Amino acid sequence: MKKEVPLAITFISGFLLIVALFIPHEPFGSLQERFNDWYIIVSGFTLILGVDSLILYHWRKIKRKEKEAPYSIILISTFVIVLAWGIYSGVKYGNPFAPASSFLRYFYTYMFVPLQATMFSLLAFFIASAAYRAFRARGLNATLLLISAGIVMLGRVPKGEEAAPYFIGITLILLAIVSVLEGVSRVEVYEKIIFFGLAVVSIIAIFPAAWFLKFNLPRLADWVMNVPQLGAKRGLFIGIWLGAIAMAIRIILGIERTYLK
Amino acid sequence: MREFFERISKIDRRIIYLLVFIGVTIPLLTRKGFEFKPLQEVETAYNFIESLPEGSNVLVSIDYDAASMPELQPLLEVMLRHLFRRNLKVIMLGHWPLGLPLGQIALEKIAKEMGRKYGEDYVFLGYRPGIAAVILNIGKEIRGVFDVDYRGIYLDSLPIMRNVHNYSDIALLIGFEAGSVGDFWVQFAQARFNQKIILTSTAVVTPDLYPYYQAKQIVGLIGGLRGAADYEILVKKKGFAYAGMTAQTIIHIIIVALILIGNIGYLAMRRVR
Amino acid sequence: MIKIFLILQFSLPPLPVSEVVAKDVPNDAGGKIQIEWELSPDDSIIDFYTVFKQKKIEGQWSEPETLTVVRSGTNSLTDTDCKDGVEYRYFVRVSKGEEFSDSPFSNIAMSSAQWFHKKRASVLILLIIIVGLLLYFIQKTRKGEELFIRKIAGLDALDEAVGRSTELGRPLLFVLGLGTIADIPTIAGLSILKRVSKKSAEYETDLIVPCFDPVVFVAAQETVKEGYIEGGRPDLFKEGNVFFLSYDQFGYAAGVDGIMVREKPGAVFLQGYFYAESLILAETGNSIGAIQISGTTAVTQLPFFIAATDYTLIGEEMYAASAYLTKDALSLATIKGEDWVKILLIAVIILGIIFESIAFFTKIPWLHVLKNFFTVV
Repeated sequence: MKKEVPLAITFISGFLLIVALFIPHEPFGSLQERFNDWYIIVSGFTLILGVDSLILYHWRKIKRKEKEAPYSIILISTFVIVLAWGIYSGVKYGNPFAPASSFLRYFYTYMFVPLQATMFSLLAFFIASAAYRAFRARGLNATLLLISAGIVMLGRVPKGEEAAPYFIGITLILLAIVSVLEGVSRVEVYEKIIFFGLAVVSIIAIFPAAWFLKFNLPRLADWVMNVPQLGAKRGLFIGIWLGAIAMAIRIILGIERTYLK
Repeated sequence: MREFFERISKIDRRIIYLLVFIGVTIPLLTRKGFEFKPLQEVETAYNFIESLPEGSNVLVSIDYDAASMPELQPLLEVMLRHLFRRNLKVIMLGHWPLGLPLGQIALEKIAKEMGRKYGEDYVFLGYRPGIAAVILNIGKEIRGVFDVDYRGIYLDSLPIMRNVHNYSDIALLIGFEAGSVGDFWVQFAQARFNQKIILTSTAVVTPDLYPYYQAKQIVGLIGGLRGAADYEILVKKKGFAYAGMTAQTIIHIIIVALILIGNIGYLAMRRVR
Repeated sequence: MIKIFLILQFSLPPLPVSEVVAKDVPNDAGGKIQIEWELSPDDSIIDFYTVFKQKKIEGQWSEPETLTVVRSGTNSLTDTDCKDGVEYRYFVRVSKGEEFSDSPFSNIAMSSAQWFHKKRASVLILLIIIVGLLLYFIQKTRKGEELFIRKIAGLDALDEAVGRSTELGRPLLFVLGLGTIADIPTIAGLSILKRVSKKSAEYETDLIVPCFDPVVFVAAQETVKEGYIEGGRPDLFKEGNVFFLSYDQFGYAAGVDGIMVREKPGAVFLQGYFYAESLILAETGNSIGAIQISGTTAVTQLPFFIAATDYTLIGEEMYAASAYLTKDALSLATIKGEDWVKILLIAVIILGIIFESIAFFTKIPWLHVLKNFFTVV
C-alpha cells in the first residue's frame, strides 16, 4: 500500500495532464493551472521542513561545540532577528518588506546585495582558471574548440579585432616550430614532407590570416555563435527532450521510482 | 628549459586570479578606455527615446535582482537620467520582488539629482504577483492591478497617473531583464497591445532576445555591459559601464593570452616526453 | 494650398475602419471571441480606436458597451469576457480629437469550447508513435530479449570515485542543483544519488547532501536512507548529513563551496539542474583536488562542467543513468524506444529541409505540409 498509492497518484495525474494538453474544454482546460496551484501550496508547507532541517543541523553543531559552531550561532541569530523584524514590520506597517521598516532595507542593501554580487563575481576568476586549464590542443576536437573559443572571446569585445592578428601570428609561428621539430624527428620521407609543408603553410598564412581577422573578426565570431554553436545546441536540445519524454513515461508507468521510499 | 615549460603549462590558479583582479580593477579605477562605435540596436533605442515628445509616459520594469546588479544597475541610472533630462515621466514597477529595492534606490537617487518630484514626474508602483496576469491587466486598466502605489496612495491622487489607464497612454516600455520576463513583455504587451518596447538585458539573456529585435517586435535592445557602455557613449556621459567594457576587453585578452601560453607549455612538454 | 489641406484634415472626421469580423477563438475553453478589422486609412493621424460590444438578450440587442480602447496600428483584439452560446456583435470607433466615426456592425459571433485542440494533432500523433515504440520494446524485453546500451564513462566512474574517496579517507559530496522535484533532471539526479549512497554504505564512507529545495531535500533524505538499506548498512545513515542549506541561488553556492573547502570531499557529484552557480561549484571542487562527476541538462552550463570536471553526463546521458546503473530491462526498453524515435525525427528533419528548400525556390504551397503540421501553438 505504501508504494501503490503514490504510484497510482502519479499515474492518474500524469495521464490526466497529458490528456488535458489535447482538450481545451473544461474541466480539462484549466487542469494544468490547477495542478500547479496545488503544487505551490504543498511546496509552501515543505519550506517548514527545510527550516527545521537547517536550524536542527546548526543547533547540533552548537551543542557538540564543533569548530564551526560560532558560524552556526551567527546563522541562527540572523535567522531569528530577520524573522522577528519581518513579523514586527508586518504587524506595524502591514507588510514585512515595508520600505518604512529601515532595518530590512539596511539589511538588504548592505548585506544581501553585496553578498549575492560577490558570489556571482567569483565567476570572472573561475572562468579564467577553468579556461586556462581546459583549452588545450589535446587533439583535433580540442584544437577546434580552442580556436573557436579564441575567435568568440576576441570577436565579442571592442578592439578585439586589433589584438587578434598578434594572437593568430604567434599561434601560427608556434605551429610552424612544432611542425619543424616534429618533421625533424620523423623517419619516413613523406612524413617529413607533410610536416615541413605544414610549417611553410603556417608561415605563409600569417599575414593573410592576420589581415582577414583584423577586418572580419566580429562577423566571424557571430557566425560561430549563430551557425555551429546554435546547430549543436539544437541537436542537444532535441536529445534532451526526447530523454525527458522517455523518463516521464517511465515515471508515469511506475518503472522509475527512485523518488519513492 | 623543461622546468620553464612545465611551469607555464601549470600556472598556479592564484596567479591567474591576480591577473584577472588587476585587469578588472585598473580600468574601473582609472575610468580610462578607448573609443568604439555603438551597436546599431543600441543606437535605435537611444534615437527612439530622443524622438519621444516631452511629457510622454515611460514604463520601466525591474526584472532582475542583486546578482545581476553590476551589469544592469549602471545602465538603469544612465537611462533614468536620460529620461528625466528629456522631461519624460517615469512609472516604475517590477516582476522580481527581490530586485525592486534596487530600482527604487536608483529612481530616488536620480530623481533627487535631477530635481524631479514624486507623483508628478515619477512614480513607483511596486510588485504584484503573476507576471502574465499583471502584464495583460495593465492592457485593460492599470488600476485593476495597481490601485495604489508602493506607499498605499491611490493612483488617482497622483497627478502623473491621472491620465494613465493602459498601454495606449504609455509611449514606451523599458524592461531590465535578467531572466525570461522580457519574453512575457513581448508576447503580451507588444503582440496584443502593440506597445513599443526597449529591452535591456544581461549578456547571458541577450542572445534569446535578438530574434525580437530582428522581427521588429522591440524598438531597441541593449545587451550586457557592452550595450550599457554603448548607451553611455550615446548620452555622452562615460561612466561605470564604459570602464567596465575596457575591463572586459582586457580580461578576454588576458584569458586568450593565458590559453596560448598554457598551450605553448603543453605542446613543448608533450615533445619533451 | 498646404493651409487648406491642413484645415480639411482637422475638421473632417477620420475615415472609419472596415471589414470588422468577429469569430470564436479556436481550440480554447470557450468564453473568447476574436475581433479583427481593416485599419482606418487615416490610421497614421488618429488618436485611438474604441471597440464596442453588444449582446443579444431575449432577442433584443443590448446598449453598446465599451470593450476596450486600443492605440492606432492595432487591428485585432480578443474579447475574453463572453458567455458561450450568447450572440455578440461589435463595432469599432475611430477617434481623432473630438471627431469620430463608427464602423458598421460586425457579423454575429458566439464563443464555444472545443473538445480537441486541432493545432496539437501532430503532438498527439508523435506521442502515440513514441509510446507505441516504447511499449513495443518493453514487450520485447518481457520475452527475454537482451538490449545493448553503449558505455557511458561518467556512470562507470561513479563507483571508482566512491572507492578513491574512501582510500583517501574523505567524505563524498552530492549536489542536486537548483531544480525542484518537478524538474526531470532532479529526479534523474536522485536515481544517481541512490547508487552513490548504496556504494557509500558498502565502502562505509560519509555522504554529504546539501539541498536547495525543501521538497528535494525530503526526497533526497529518503533516497539516501533507501540506498544505505540496499547497501546493507542502514546503521551508518546519518540524518544530519542530508540537510537543507538555503533557498537563495548564491547563498547555496557559497554554502556548498564552504563545505567543499572545510570537509575536503574526495569525490564531488554535481547532478541535477544548474544555473550560473555551476562553474563556481565545479572550480572550487577542482581546487580541492576532488574527482568530480557532473551531469545536467542545462545546455548553457554544460561547457562549464566539461571544462572544470573530470566526467560529464551530457543531457540525455543523465536520463539514461538509472537504466544504465540498474540494467533494469524495462528501463532499457524505453531507451531503445527513444533511439528509434530519434532516428524517426532525424528522417523527418531531413525531409523537412528538402521540402522547405524546394518550396523556397519553386514557391509550391503544398510543400510546406511538414512545416505546417509541426507548427504547434
